[in-house]
Amino acid sequence: MGTPFSKLLELAGGLKEGRTLKAVIPGGSSTPLLSADTAMNMTMDYDSIANAGSMLGAGSVIIMDDTTCMVKTLTRLAHFYYDESCGQCTPCREGTGWLYRVLQRILDGNGKNEDLDLLVSVGEKISGNTICALGDAAATPVESFIRHFRHEFEYYIKHGRSIVESEHHLIEEEAIV
Amino acid sequence: MSEIEFEIDGKLVFANQGDSIISIADREGIDVPRFCYHKKLSVAANCRMCLVDVEGVPKAQPACSTPVANGMKIHTRNDKAKSAQKAVMEFLLINHPLDCPICDQGGECELQDVAMEYGTDVSKFNLGKRIVADKGIGALIQTDMTRCIHCTRCVRFGAEVAGIVEMGGTGRGEGVKIEPFLTEGIQSELSGNMIDVCPVGALTSKPFRYEARTWQMNAVETIARHDLIGSNIYTQTYRGKVKRVVARDNELVNETWISDRDRFSYEGLNHESRALHPKIKKNNKWQEASWEVALDFAISGLKKNAQNPNQLGVLASKNSTLEEYYLMQKLARSFGSENIDYRLDKADLSIGSSMLSNISLSEMESIDHALIVNSYLRLEQPMINHRIRKATLNGASVNTINNKKFDFNYRTNLEVLSSPQKTVLMLQSVLKSLHDKTKTPAPKHLSKITVDDSQNKIADDLITAERPVIVIGEHVNSNISSSDIMNIISEIATLANAKIANLSHSGNSLSAEKVGFKPSNKGKNATSMLSENTKAFLLMDVDLNYDFINPKLAADTFNKDDVFVVSLNSFEDEASQINSDVILPLASFYESSGTHINFDGIAQSFSASVKGPGDSKPGWKIIKVLADLFEFKGFEYTDSTQVADDALAITSIGNNDIVDKNTKAIDDSKIAIHWQYSPYAVDGVTRKAKSLQETPIGKMNAAFISLVTAKELKLSGGDLFHGVPVSINETVADGCVFVHTYQSRKG
Repeated sequence: MGTPFSKLLELAGGLKEGRTLKAVIPGGSSTPLLSADTAMNMTMDYDSIANAGSMLGAGSVIIMDDTTCMVKTLTRLAHFYYDESCGQCTPCREGTGWLYRVLQRILDGNGKNEDLDLLVSVGEKISGNTICALGDAAATPVESFIRHFRHEFEYYIKHGRSIVESEHHLIEEEAIV
Repeated sequence: MSEIEFEIDGKLVFANQGDSIISIADREGIDVPRFCYHKKLSVAANCRMCLVDVEGVPKAQPACSTPVANGMKIHTRNDKAKSAQKAVMEFLLINHPLDCPICDQGGECELQDVAMEYGTDVSKFNLGKRIVADKGIGALIQTDMTRCIHCTRCVRFGAEVAGIVEMGGTGRGEGVKIEPFLTEGIQSELSGNMIDVCPVGALTSKPFRYEARTWQMNAVETIARHDLIGSNIYTQTYRGKVKRVVARDNELVNETWISDRDRFSYEGLNHESRALHPKIKKNNKWQEASWEVALDFAISGLKKNAQNPNQLGVLASKNSTLEEYYLMQKLARSFGSENIDYRLDKADLSIGSSMLSNISLSEMESIDHALIVNSYLRLEQPMINHRIRKATLNGASVNTINNKKFDFNYRTNLEVLSSPQKTVLMLQSVLKSLHDKTKTPAPKHLSKITVDDSQNKIADDLITAERPVIVIGEHVNSNISSSDIMNIISEIATLANAKIANLSHSGNSLSAEKVGFKPSNKGKNATSMLSENTKAFLLMDVDLNYDFINPKLAADTFNKDDVFVVSLNSFEDEASQINSDVILPLASFYESSGTHINFDGIAQSFSASVKGPGDSKPGWKIIKVLADLFEFKGFEYTDSTQVADDALAITSIGNNDIVDKNTKAIDDSKIAIHWQYSPYAVDGVTRKAKSLQETPIGKMNAAFISLVTAKELKLSGGDLFHGVPVSINETVADGCVFVHTYQSRKG
């Protein structure tokens, strides 16, 4: 408790060589995502993380470097919540599948720019209206991923492939040249 | 219960501790949308449609599961509440097929109604919708589970009210399916209520499917008369036909529920064997006739054959209206005949066999012990059984003394088997045990009676209970010693301070009792009329095969050349036609105005929902015209309500006399036969209701015999016993054959 995040990262072995920190989910996938800068300046305690705009939550820290595709990551998280929904109450039963399918559609190259607002609005409609916290948990990453990395989603929708792959592809091309 | 004060939509209201927001909103006329909430079922809070804003609480709260508290400020339609409600509505609709134009629920659909206010015109959902394969759950309920919104009302109805967990949610997440656990379909006698509670078109009435749109029909408030409750219903009619029956709320009578028998029996009204025109039999050939000709033929035949008034016999089934019973007995008595009876299925017609109940329906709900004698209550009187079930949920215990063990939808403590011929002895043992326990001197005739453990336990349970009731059911009717049984039961009730519910009555037979549709001392009863010198009969809604305890005797009597039979009947199939000389087509259920007297003695009058088919006429009019043609005085009625007024003014002819304190010799026949009709074979209309007959209850057809008895009778499983397949079964008492079937005794 109170350990600076940068220290925690170092203790965990740090990033792989040549990689840069992209984003951090400080308290398990149900807590909002933080940008690299914000994360590097916070300490691992309730107040500091809350001030940074997230939660300590379950305390399981997820660290993403520059090779991580945010579209694929969010889709994977959405699938998790879709799969975990028990189906008892309406917003979660219907909403988690909706989120997952729209994200999968983007991944499949069939996304539209409106889909991003749709995803945020579906998340908002699940949030706070369910019996248990799983609904809220499913909605949180959707909102924070799109807020921080909207350009990645837009890129994916436009080109049908990930911006991360494209960047690395360019790097490789430059190396060959 | 302390009163608390709070605000809802700016209105200051009062409520009791523990009241939910939604119940108070309903009381105050504030409309909160809901799907899973149902006032008679437990709270699930899973549809989330009733979310409202409670000041000071960050999230919107479900009005159904949030109890009110002092000082609470609730907003049901501010921005926060509305946006939550609209969000839920959107989720409910994304996977709903929106096939309203081909959905039977269209026009009366809660989802449709709520979507009008909370839905949007254009869907943002442009993915594939969920489809659910249908499993088919029987002949009464049509499923289309793609339309299901998972409110679980049907599931909770099954578990909480019907007492049989038949529907359930399987799977999880988006794949949750509401479906029956069993492949045989729904088995409950109250299953149709699932249609009423379903807020969408997932569960709809199968017989009604595609028959009419809901807004095309007229709804007529009326009364069902297949049991002692007189459930309040709406008949929904379209172009002069009853198309559907649904429940009507009456907390005192049927609450919100009705039995499947009341709901689906209307199908029989449109059966092809309906009697449409008067018919007379001349030279052994049937011919259609006008009403004038048929009535003249009937009158002259009756006059010719019953030159002595005592040669006229008047019989009716248990399903006529109060007005019909009243006029029919008045006609017979004006004729000078006391040969009047409706107890066609009773073996023991001595006067002591009729006994009055002294408990009300609502009291049934608060009993703490019931002793059920000779009854499969669940099927005979589903709604009274429901009251007892509610009592058991509050801790009441139940013991039974029956010919066979039955499948009650609540737990029974002790199920004692007793064959019909041993029932008197069994009850005498209980009585003796009670005398011992209460230290009252037992009468002499009980001195040789022995008492075993189970009888002691039955006596104990009756004494220790504070509000016990003894229920006596239909099976007693075929018992030759039923008056003895009634006598002993009233003695037991007196000693144990127990109430009595006499449920050996059925249909509208309490109306028949009310107007004295029974012979006085001078008259002949149903059985003696058939065996003694009766030359002319007037039959009202009587089925020769089904209604008599001895159908062969009835057939032989009516078949004699010198016996003239006038039959007022709604059907002209073989059963009613074969041995009569005149058929006067009778308007049936929902086709005639009338009155039903229920278990609580409440007379519920109803008007006709539709006109009878063809030339058929309401019974009270036919009898009135017959009386006019006989030139009897006192039949100057122009309206059935005048008849009802006269009938209800009769002061108790029904008797509670207990005669024969010393019980007669005990029936020592070795093997008794008890023939019990399925609940869907109790009257002509129900027997012809196709869908009911296709249910497991309707198809019930077995002669249950214990192994010992089967050996004595040299029968084995699968053999036919009077046309009914034998089932060797250890849940039936030795020394009796318990036939439970849709087939007539004649079979």
